Amino acid sequence: MRQPPIHTIADDAIKTWKITAILYMLILWLSTAAGLVLSIIFDFPLWYVAISILLCGILHYVFVNLLPKVRWKRWRYEIFEQEIYIQHGILIISRTLVPMIRVQHVDTKQGPILKKYQLASVTISTAATTHEIPALLEEDASSLRDRISALARVDEDDV
Amino acid sequence: MMSEKRRLHPAAILFTIVKMFKELIFTIGVGFFAFKEEGMAYFIIGGSALVIIALSFGILSWYRYTYRVEDEELRIEHGIIIRRKRYISKNRIQSIDLTQNVVHRLFKLVKVNIETAGSGMGSEASLKAVKLKTGEALREELKTAKKAATIESADAEQMEQDFPSETITKRRLFVAGTTSGSIGIIFIIFSVVFSDLDQFIPDSYYENTFNTIIGFSIIIITILVLALLLLLWLLGIAGTMIKYGNFTITKHPDELLITRGLLEKKQTTIPLRRIQAVGINESIIRQPFGYVTVYAEVAGGSIQKGEDFSTILFPIMKRTEVDDFLTKLLPEYVSERNKLKGLPAQAKTFYLVRSSMLLMLVAIAMLFLFPQFIWAPIIVLLLCMYIGLLRYKDAGFRIDGERLTLRSRVINRKTIILFHKRIQSFESKQYWLQKRASVATLKASIVSSFGAGTHYKIKDLSVDDAMEIADWYSFRDY
Repeated sequence: MRQPPIHTIADDAIKTWKITAILYMLILWLSTAAGLVLSIIFDFPLWYVAISILLCGILHYVFVNLLPKVRWKRWRYEIFEQEIYIQHGILIISRTLVPMIRVQHVDTKQGPILKKYQLASVTISTAATTHEIPALLEEDASSLRDRISALARVDEDDV
Repeated sequence: MMSEKRRLHPAAILFTIVKMFKELIFTIGVGFFAFKEEGMAYFIIGGSALVIIALSFGILSWYRYTYRVEDEELRIEHGIIIRRKRYISKNRIQSIDLTQNVVHRLFKLVKVNIETAGSGMGSEASLKAVKLKTGEALREELKTAKKAATIESADAEQMEQDFPSETITKRRLFVAGTTSGSIGIIFIIFSVVFSDLDQFIPDSYYENTFNTIIGFSIIIITILVLALLLLLWLLGIAGTMIKYGNFTITKHPDELLITRGLLEKKQTTIPLRRIQAVGINESIIRQPFGYVTVYAEVAGGSIQKGEDFSTILFPIMKRTEVDDFLTKLLPEYVSERNKLKGLPAQAKTFYLVRSSMLLMLVAIAMLFLFPQFIWAPIIVLLLCMYIGLLRYKDAGFRIDGERLTLRSRVINRKTIILFHKRIQSFESKQYWLQKRASVATLKASIVSSFGAGTHYKIKDLSVDDAMEIADWYSFRDY
């Protein structure tokens, strides 16, 4: 576990995360805009609005421009015959080992944003935890899913 | 043997009706007050209609509820308008619990709860009231799914005395009650009342009135409060005595059988192969007296609600008796708990900062806002730092072959013993400060009773130790 896993996830993951972040930021921007309009109509002081615009700007930079890149850089995975090794995290880097014999089921998932870039995510569930590898190329995701489920097909002793 | 359709004991009707009224009691109460003035007659008519409906519903549902054992299955048919049939295969049954409440005991009846794997909350089937003998016979029959069990059960009768078992003594039970959770709450209230009373009352007021009637009434109030606390405490003791009275744990070839309860007699079976981990909990009140609780994490159903998501194997025992107890019942879980490898020195700072950070902010805010009360957060801060220090000192791990022992403290000190094959996944975490100090937090997850998983964490182990555990866990060959 000393070495990080070798595989990175799809490059387009950054784009999909950016889009998701922009969608969330849009809510903030819109409410700020609404605040601006209301302030003008009702003659409220405008410095509240200035502060919230500034805040939105900072948040926008952090969540849209900065974090997706860092997150992508940190996201690693590696599949061994006996176990799955995943690394992720922005501030807290966590590395997880999931033994194949503990895998209960594997899913691939694709939302509208991932679909646009022909990506899919893989979710691995054990009896106690779930782990997700986000944004792999569609064919990688499905071959990974098939491979894990084949490798996981070992006799369980119980639970 | 039991292939004919059977009905529950007629007392089940009573249970159904009582349950219905319990659920309706609020409505009835509201109705009573709403119709109090002019519509009393309507209320009585409505009420008696309700009683008749409840009665006929109770009788009908009792009449329609049948069970039988056929083709290696327990078959239950019930429902008045919609007929429901539930067939539970013997092989799927994880445990069969017999419970008796006061009414059951009066009529020599028993409630049979049948649980299957992964049922989560509640049991798969529950026969509300059957004769004690029928219940026991049913249990024997459903258990015989395993091959050659007929012979085994015949032997079991003779061997009954030979099974290792442990019983709680009255004295221990009393100690358990006195040191149960309720004492903690009382202790806090007690200390707040006594340490802070002087501080909150201004000096002048205090001096002027202390020797007068008001001073006298403070004494009365104090006595009243003390009496109330005493009462709460006694209730706590009584609660523990009732819950864990006659606690007996017996080891059968492949399951543990727990019987407990003074008023309501409960029987729980824990299949050995479903035990995920064994834990030793030393509550902060009991620890100084050397008392511990032994519990098990069990996968699947069969767990009563509100028992901390784990099953208590023994409510209270001396720390020194744990090894004997485990040797008798679960020998593979005997671990050298006192020779754990602790945390590195640099982890101490993390623990101290983590436990006091929030209060530090409170203290600073207090210093600016109410400087006269600064002593309060400082006392709490010192207490928290002390607990942080304890957390640092108590955390540790040990690997013996396939067995891993982990110890940590939040408030209570918990030692957990688990096996390699029970760990579902393993995680190590590090943030940049931890990386600089070369420590890491690790987390091992196992299956718990509600399927959500239980996670054991040890914070700030040295990276070398964390990697040693990771390598131990890893299925790859190096």
